[in-house]
Amino acid sequence: MDISLIGFILVAAMLLMLVSGIWIALTLTGLAIIALLLIENSSIGLLLGTSSWSASTAWSLTALPLFIWMGEILFRTRLSEDLFQGLSPILAKLPGKLLHVNILSCGIFAAVSGSSAATAATIGRMTLPELKRRGYNESMAIGTLAGSGTLGLLIPPSIILIVYGVAAEVSITRLFLAGALPGLMLVGLFMAYTIVWSLLNKDSDVDQESEQYTFADKIIALKKLLPIIILIGGVLGSIYQGVATPTEAAALGVTGSLLLSVLTGSFSLAGFSQSILGAVKSSCMLGLILVGAHFLTLAMGFVGLPNELAAWIAKQGLSSIELIIYLTFFFIILGCFLDGISVVVLTTSIVLPMVAQSGIDLIWFGIFLVLTVEMSQITPPVGFNLFVIQSLTGKNILYVAKAALPFFMMIAVAIVIITIFPDVALYLPSLMTQN
Amino acid sequence: MDKIRRLFYVASAWGAGSCLIAMTLLIISQIVARLIGVVIPSSEDFAGWLLSAIIFFGLAYTFNNGGHIRVTIALSRFSSRYRHLVEYFNLAIGLLISGYLAYYTAFTVYESFVYEELTDTYLAVPIGFVQLPMAIGSICLFLAMLDSLSIMIAGRVPNYISAEDNIDIEG
Repeated sequence: MDISLIGFILVAAMLLMLVSGIWIALTLTGLAIIALLLIENSSIGLLLGTSSWSASTAWSLTALPLFIWMGEILFRTRLSEDLFQGLSPILAKLPGKLLHVNILSCGIFAAVSGSSAATAATIGRMTLPELKRRGYNESMAIGTLAGSGTLGLLIPPSIILIVYGVAAEVSITRLFLAGALPGLMLVGLFMAYTIVWSLLNKDSDVDQESEQYTFADKIIALKKLLPIIILIGGVLGSIYQGVATPTEAAALGVTGSLLLSVLTGSFSLAGFSQSILGAVKSSCMLGLILVGAHFLTLAMGFVGLPNELAAWIAKQGLSSIELIIYLTFFFIILGCFLDGISVVVLTTSIVLPMVAQSGIDLIWFGIFLVLTVEMSQITPPVGFNLFVIQSLTGKNILYVAKAALPFFMMIAVAIVIITIFPDVALYLPSLMTQN
Repeated sequence: MDKIRRLFYVASAWGAGSCLIAMTLLIISQIVARLIGVVIPSSEDFAGWLLSAIIFFGLAYTFNNGGHIRVTIALSRFSSRYRHLVEYFNLAIGLLISGYLAYYTAFTVYESFVYEELTDTYLAVPIGFVQLPMAIGSICLFLAMLDSLSIMIAGRVPNYISAEDNIDIEG
């Protein structure tokens, strides 16, 4: 059968299955079965069995449930309150005051929990009422939260980077190193925008309470931040130093967060078992998607579609910059309807050979992909952070999306920066090679 | 019947949950062992096998709690009668794919047992034994979908739909 006809049938089947609401993981498996049937492969079932086994036992994937569990434990501690109380006095002098608390606590919480929508929910539940009480501009309060809620995708340990690393077969340690600087840069961009906005809208500065912090308050505040700093330092430090694999660092993180919850008195047996069930639910969801994606990648290899696509792109004579511009728009549109994980696994199954062939570094591409997925988290109609904040505030989703728009633009700026200066992402991983 | 049903999903959840705890303990002991200069043989392979057990054992529980993600944006806009029909279609296709998965993962495990294959790790274990959770979990996912179908035929709303409709943002 002609390969473009196969491609057409597959795209049609995919759209039908996705739109009608078939589970993403099963859609991926189903597409792979259809693809193999179309090329009359005779051992589909055997391929499925062996591919499911190798996909679900990958050592690099073992970090995934552990980081998820660590996040689930931390969501049930006082960590988010401590962050808020610790950061508020320190940031009180910056134009925008507590708006920066939104940004930084999301950034820091994301760095320890690895999850995006849950970060926005945990931080927002606490900061939004407080910001409202002190009379902050509502749109900025929601916008900073929606924007920085996406930071969890990029700042290591990021779940989505693990998924990309496993699916694209690149080192997760390197991806974590590559995500660090762009993540910090994005925090910087968000804060810079907030400062500029606050300077331009001085009349919206109504917060008097933040003026009254004394030096002693700041010292007490710093003490509240100490456990978090130790936890981040321990987890990320041990990976970056090369003394622990991401999996081992994650296991240490689980132990550390359990310890933290016991020491701060928020540990309970009910909370503990809820954290396990929560971790099981997310891990199984992601695990089955990866099993499906692995099988789809295999099937696509048999059909030859990705290579065909790569050859076609090569014939168009696109420069890699042009390719990236097209891909950015493609991913943003895709992200309007699919969640981030699905975008990532579909990309690695189909687009990756094309990307590798045009000379784009796969580590860099992972960071780029995650940035575009971050944008898609705050674009309607399907944007998970929008859903979370919608349910927190009761605001219309379009209102939330509009409030988040400046931060959407800041992520776009970050994509432009890492495209012009790839070293923002690639400098830290390159240090690892030299050692 | 309801009691068996509840037991089934609790078993799925805690089957996966206990493997998660076991995996964490294994990796912690691997770190501790390395610090004191001992090597735990094949610990990375065992961690991988436990991972597979976590993923597959928990599938049924995750499904029943609306945990497996899907695109619901079109679905939520249909009228309730039309939505009902589409859900039947989804469950039918879902049963087809998960049934296929269940049959062939079980077949893979069966073959591993028949040919008495051993793992190529330092500690050689029968592959069929460590692959067993994959087959059991896939079959349980199929059963969970069958369960939802039977609930829908009986005229009630399956749990996965009601769980999706009030998404707990704490995940």
